[in-house]
Order: sequence, then structure tokens, then C-alpha cells
Amino acid sequence: MAYIKDERPQTIGVEGTWILSAYHYKGSRLMEEYVKGLKKKKFIGSFCPGCAKVIVPPRNLCGRCHRIMDGRKTVSDKGTITCFVVSPPIFKGKLKVIGMDPVETGLIKDGEVVIPVFVKFDGSDSNTDTILLNADPKAVHIGMRVKAVWAKKPQGALSDFEGVEPL
Amino acid sequence: MKRNVAIIGCGQTKHSSRRRDVNVAELVSEAVFNALEDAKVSLREVDAFVVGNMPGFGGIAQPEQWLGDSIGAAGKPVLRIATGGTTGGSVGQGGYYTVASGLHDVVVAVAWEKHSDSKEAGATTGLLHVGLANFFHASAYGLSLKNLVATSVVGAAAGVAVYQATFYMYRSGCSIKHFDMVAAKARRNAAKNKYAHLQWPGCTPEDIAKTEIITYPFRYGHVCPASDGASAIVVAEETVAKKKARQPAWFKGLASYSDEENQLQSENMGGVGVTDPSEQRGAWLSAMKAYRMAGIRDPQKEIDMAEIYQPFPSQELIFSERLGLFDEGTAWKALERGETDINGRMPLDPSGGVNATNAIGSSAMQRILECALQIMGKAEEHQVPKKVHNAVAHGWGGVTNYTTVTVLGDSPGR
Amino acid sequence: MRRRVAIVGYAQSHHQHNMQKTREDMVFEVCKEALHNAGILREDLDTVVTASSDFLDGRTISSVFLSMAVGAFMKDESKVEEDGTFALYYALMRILAGSHDVALVEAHTQGSTLNPHQVTCFTLDPLFDRQIGVLNDIAAAALQARMYMNRHSVSEKHLAMVAVKNITNAAKNPYAHRKMPDLSVKEVMSSKVFYDPIRELTMSPISDGACAVILASEEKAKKFTDKPVWIEGVGTCQDSYLRDRNIENLDSLQTAARTAYKMAGIKNPLAELDVAEVSEKFAHEELMIYEALGLCKKGQGKNLIEKGTTRRDGSMPVNPSGGALGADPVCATGLIRVIEAAKQIKGEAGRYQVPGVRRALAHGQFGICAQKNTVYILGGN
Repeated sequence: MAYIKDERPQTIGVEGTWILSAYHYKGSRLMEEYVKGLKKKKFIGSFCPGCAKVIVPPRNLCGRCHRIMDGRKTVSDKGTITCFVVSPPIFKGKLKVIGMDPVETGLIKDGEVVIPVFVKFDGSDSNTDTILLNADPKAVHIGMRVKAVWAKKPQGALSDFEGVEPL
Repeated sequence: MKRNVAIIGCGQTKHSSRRRDVNVAELVSEAVFNALEDAKVSLREVDAFVVGNMPGFGGIAQPEQWLGDSIGAAGKPVLRIATGGTTGGSVGQGGYYTVASGLHDVVVAVAWEKHSDSKEAGATTGLLHVGLANFFHASAYGLSLKNLVATSVVGAAAGVAVYQATFYMYRSGCSIKHFDMVAAKARRNAAKNKYAHLQWPGCTPEDIAKTEIITYPFRYGHVCPASDGASAIVVAEETVAKKKARQPAWFKGLASYSDEENQLQSENMGGVGVTDPSEQRGAWLSAMKAYRMAGIRDPQKEIDMAEIYQPFPSQELIFSERLGLFDEGTAWKALERGETDINGRMPLDPSGGVNATNAIGSSAMQRILECALQIMGKAEEHQVPKKVHNAVAHGWGGVTNYTTVTVLGDSPGR
Repeated sequence: MRRRVAIVGYAQSHHQHNMQKTREDMVFEVCKEALHNAGILREDLDTVVTASSDFLDGRTISSVFLSMAVGAFMKDESKVEEDGTFALYYALMRILAGSHDVALVEAHTQGSTLNPHQVTCFTLDPLFDRQIGVLNDIAAAALQARMYMNRHSVSEKHLAMVAVKNITNAAKNPYAHRKMPDLSVKEVMSSKVFYDPIRELTMSPISDGACAVILASEEKAKKFTDKPVWIEGVGTCQDSYLRDRNIENLDSLQTAARTAYKMAGIKNPLAELDVAEVSEKFAHEELMIYEALGLCKKGQGKNLIEKGTTRRDGSMPVNPSGGALGADPVCATGLIRVIEAAKQIKGEAGRYQVPGVRRALAHGQFGICAQKNTVYILGGN
């Protein structure tokens, strides 16, 4: 097409940045209620007075009813796996998480397999995103019964809920 | 009385992982001028432009304000539509509405993405930022780093696709070898498409099965590339369409229903009310509406081919069922019987699809474009052997939130 | 137009500096209120179009977490990434095409997330202007102001008069951000200089805000309300990039206005329009807007402000709500002008109502130095 410029094999590179950490995001206060519940080893979900759905972790809006989910319900800490993913063994140098190597920093052992799962706790209508601990990767299946694993010294933070393990 | 609207010309650029010979303005103008040439329309005859891409990758906000001049948009109405992975589909549908409204007669719709402009390889930069705000929020409440490792393993957009694939395997009984078959078919088809990125003539499922597993059930051989490319269509109303094109591709039905959000989390790290990641009810509703508009009662018999948005091979199977092309849980059986091959009964993605070429902003537009090429008979080497009367193009994105379904046909009306 | 389309409901937030609400809550409240204002349910909606910007919200696909809040669950939804007036244009086209009858249009920005003036650096040409690092939207506007003032002998006092008119008007608007009922020209001329001649009080404030409008086709509109506000004309256009256009004129606004006037059958805007709500992010832009809209000849904008023609009690009131100088939540500003114009027609503008409004103009812009513009002509029964 005649409109394309004369041949030049390479363009010259110029730099630019988009610094997301300069943004002041606003978060809701629901997380505070949730972590207070985690400290007491309880999962608090939001309940919609319109369709009676329970969502864990809590969210403010029910899209189906277009109203605020201002109810609260505590759900069980036992549940069922609805979906899972098994990672390949993670060796040192293979993965970087926010600039760090998780094996080097001791988060996971060399060659360990991580199993992220979706769990539907009894009484909740939503998937909760977490990881499966103390389990044989070959035994994981959809419908597996699990229970929550709590941190030894709960501090009222998201890390109080460490994961789930087979019941 | 609805106005009849058709695509009269298509233009694409060669998609590759690093188009370092052009900057983004030149890339987009390449597609636009190819489309105008194909449609035999001059710039003066164009009434308006609809454009879109995902700004997070190129790092330019509102790029059409700067590159509008390179595509001849100065002094004309320009609308910018950006909806994540479905951007291209939304832009194509925007092109339809702009002409169907009666306010404009000839419109150019163009969508693009230049991934090589991002610092991180592939599609990481922009996609990471979808949920990054939520991560900042959660880290203020002591998000455990081990959970962060889990998320990194699963990845941003790949994340939900992996869950989807696992669930689909559980629901329907298919296995990882079916994904190998789909990925091989995509690369074989792409070898016949001169604009596609991952071209591998004669690729077999065994070739794909040799590649390493990233996270079960996805292999490296399954994953789509991150391409640089742009695609454009020229949309016109009936009188112009009949004059300019021997066989225009008519818009017969379209819809883009919004599902429950991003199935990993909702706003402020809340939970999501959908427990089956492969359900995608929004896709099914969009398909129902689009078929109703198009007067199609039995898609399995009346649709001749489909271009499905499948960055991962599992999605070709999932969405072909959602679009009503196969009964629930049977798409993988049709794949085994060869029905979805380029010369099969229901060819899926004869162009190679998103699995072989993925310039995120433009890939949903390419699905509409490829269906149009098949109807117009201009798909050259990857033209399906049978006559295409009705084709459906699909887009997916917004991390499972958005779907666009567009039905094109070789004649207007029912 | 193929069908008649009307505005049947609207709502806006109380625009302020740093709203203590998440964007989802802000958007939800505004959409819920708009549905209530129109007297319809979410089930009556056919389609939803939202307007927001990734770079302003700080997230890729900025609307992905908002579809629930906006009420778009299982609805045909799309998103436009510019000012709300463009989202309204898209929603209008969706209804005109015949496949939808009722649409919800929403626009929002929380300016407190990141200073929108910093974000405009990202809209510059990435190869040259952005690298030099001198320009942003205020600097470019200052260049435009200086060129315009030199060409037509407009003084800083004229700019200050525009600011005083709009900001004192805003004091009567319960939704506006910046209200200073006793503002004087002297106070404006001694406010902080950003880029000469642009001062703090001659440029819009950075607001958090959202608004929503409900459109309906003729048959539905007549069922929902007996005071529909008809869209009689619309026009939109985009100019060349900043360095390639003559920034002394607002050419794209002129083209857009002409298209809208032609559609509405308006030959003499000054006589046939009763009120105009325009998006003036800088005081000098309002004078240039008067000329581009054909309310006066080129260079005569200063006369309109001197004579008081565009005051709320003048013969051609412009921005009785305070305009963008009163509140500027970037992507929502233009759509708020549409709402304010509709309010004037319905007689719901309270303390800043202009008497006897039958036809109004609403204008929205986006881009550095108003690079793209959309104009609506609205009319009552």
C-alpha cells in the first residue's frame, strides 16, 4: 500500500512508565470485618436479603438483585473443593514472586508442589480462593472434603487463614 | 425497520511477537489502509471511526488522540471502546451500531495491540494491573505471601482458564490429549493464514504433547502467544455495500451480555457468586439473543462455521458448547471425529484462532473479520471448502466477565 | 433520526474533593438513584454503556469490577473510554439501531485516585512530547489561552469574569464541588498561577463524582414519564493531534455543533436556544466555545461576557449550574452537563433555574485543549 513509509528495518526505542503505586486506591471497610472474624477462626460472609446468597469473603453489592448485601452470616470452616490446579514442582530459580524467589526466601521447599484450590465452605454460595496443604497431589479431586487451617497465633490478618487440608 | 449493515472490506497486519519495524501508529494505519483498499473505499467516503485497544499494554492513554491523524480520523467522529479481551469484538459491534443507527453510512472499525511495547514479556504488564489494586488493598490486611505464590503459579488471565479447563474435564470427561488436538489443529490452520503468528504446518498432537507442562492441564504448547498486530473492518449500509462488494458479510445478530465478574475475586477482594468457572452463562445468553436476532433456530444445523475466542484450547470446547454448536459435554467427541477440522462439518477457527495469534485488543475483532472473509470467499488458503451462509464470531474477556457474540451471514435479514 | 429518543431519568453524586466511598459504591448509588428517578426497575433496562478511563482509575479494564454496581448483570453492556457524552452517543446509537429500547449510561472518575493532570502526560505523543516532559494539559491550555488572547485582544479580566460567573452560579447548585458565592474578579486575579495565564480559580477543580442517565425510545419514554426530554440533535468530531492543529480555534466543536444544529433544525442558535451547558475546563475555553457554537462572531466572545449576556439572568445563559469550573470529575463532566440541561427543561433546577426553557444545548469534551467534542440539542414537549 502506497501509504506505508519507506523501508526502515528497525524503530528506535523510547521509554515511558505507568507507575501504579502512585495511585491512591480506595478500599471498602468490609475487609476489616472479615479479618476480625479470621482472628476468631470464623468465616464471615455477606448475605443478600434479596436472593439469600452468601458470599465469602464478603462483598458489598449483589449484582443480581442490584442492592447492598448488608446481612452477615458466619459459614462453616469445613467445605468442598469445587476446583483445583496442581502446579509442577517448583525448583529454585524457576519462579519469581514480586521480585523474590520463593524457594530462596523459604516460603516453600525446593521441589514443592503448590495446589491452589477453590473451596465452597458449607453454608456459602461462593468460591473462596485458597491453597491445599498437607495433601497428596494425586489424591486431590473435585468434591473432596476439606477443613480450614488456622495460624497458630492469629493476628487479625488475612494470613491467619493459612489454607485448607483434607478432612 | 432495521437497517441492513454489512462488512465490505477487511484489513490486517502480519502478526508477530515483535513488530519492531513499525511504531504503533504505523501498525494501525497499515491495517486501516489494507481494509480501505479491500473495500474499494477512499478516506473521503468514511464517515466515522470506532477504535479500541487495551491501554495498559502500550502505556499510552487515549492513543487514538495521537494516532488519529495517521488513520485519517482528524475532522471526523471517533469513538473509543475498550473492554479488555473483548475489545475487538466490542469495537466490531460498535461499528455495526454506528451504521445501523442511521447517523453514519460508512464506518471503519479498527482494533490493535502492540505487546512488544510492554517491558515485561508477553501479556503480563497490562493483565497484572487488572487486579493489582485489589492486591494493594489485601496486602494492607496482611495477605500471606504463600497465597501470592499460589496466584503467581496460576497466573493472571491464565488463572481462571486453568480452573475452567479442570472443571470442564470433570464435567465432560475429556482429557489433556483433546487439548493437544485442539492446539495442533490451531497451529496447522494458522500455517495456511499468511497473517497469523504461530505457524506450524503439519503440527500433530504428539508434537504438542512433547512440550513441558506449565500447570496441569496446560502445556507450553497449548498457550497462545503475545502478538503485535492490528485488524480493521469497513462497515457500510445496504446501498453502499451492494455497490462496493460482490458478496458483503451481513450483520444478522449480535449481543454482549455481562456475566458475574472476574471469577477469581470481585471488587475489594470479595468472593464471587458463581461456583462453576466453566458455566459462562453470559456467553449462552448472548448466543441466544444473537441467534434470535438472526432468525436462527437450530445453530447446530444452520451455522456453517465458527470463530471462537480460544487463547487456551479448553475454551474452544467450552464455548462451542455455550454457543449451541454441540450438545453439553460433547464437543470433545466431535473433535475426535474430525468435525471441527477445516474441512469438517463444523469448522472451528480455520484461521488458527487466538491460540495461534493473540494481539489482545485486536483478537476478538479478528474473529469477526475471519468470519467475514469466509463469507466473502476471500480467506485464500484457509477458506473452508463448503459455502458459508452463516458464521458466528465470539469474543471473551474481562477475565470471564465479558462475552461478545456476532452472527454474520451471506444475505441480509432472515 | 430514525426514532425519537428521550432522557427519562438521571442522577448525580455530590461532587467533592475526596469522596469517602469506593468507586463501586459511588457508581452503585448513582445508578440506583437514576433508576428510581425514572421510576423503572433494573429489569426494564435493555443495555448499559459506561464511561471511565483505565489510566484515571489505575486499573486495566477499569469497568471489570463495576458491572455489578452499574446494574449490568446479564445485560448487553459495553464501555466507552472517554467522556460520558460519548457513552451517551453510543447508547443513543444502540437505541436508534432498533435492537434496544431502554439504556442506562453511567460515567465516573475519582480524581483523588491520581491527579488527572498528571495522567494527561500519558495522552501525549509518546515519541517526542512525552519524552521532552514539558507539556501537560494545563501547559497546553495556557499556550492556547495566550494565543487566543493575543489574537483577539482578550484580557485576563475577561477570563476572571467567566470564572466569577460560573463559580458563583455553582454556589446555588447542591451537587457542585466548588462553591464561592462572594467570589470577585480581584480574588480570581490574585489566585495562584499555574501556567500563566491559567490560575487556580480559572481552571476546574479535581473532583470525585459520578452520574447516570436513562434513555428510552419514544414508545417507552411516553409510558415512563409525561415530561421526557427529547434528543433533537447530536454531533461529534475529533480534531488533529495537539501539535498538528491550530489550537486558537475549536474546530471540532464547530463541526460537531453544525451537525447537531442541522439535525435539530436550528439556524440561529443565539435566538433559538434558551440555555447552554458547556464543559469549560479552563475559563478561556468558555469564550472560545461561544464562538465555536456560533453564539457570536469569531473573537467576540469577550463581548458576551462583558455585556452579561451569558449570566444566569442574561438573554443566553451559559452554565447556570456552574459548569466544569464548579465540578470536574473528568469522565463524568460532559454527562453532568446533559443532566443539568435536562433539569432546566424539566424545571427541576431549583435555585439556579432559568425561566421558560424549551430548548437547551449540552456539550462534552475530552482530550488536551478540547481535542474531541460532542454537542447535544435537547428539547421539551
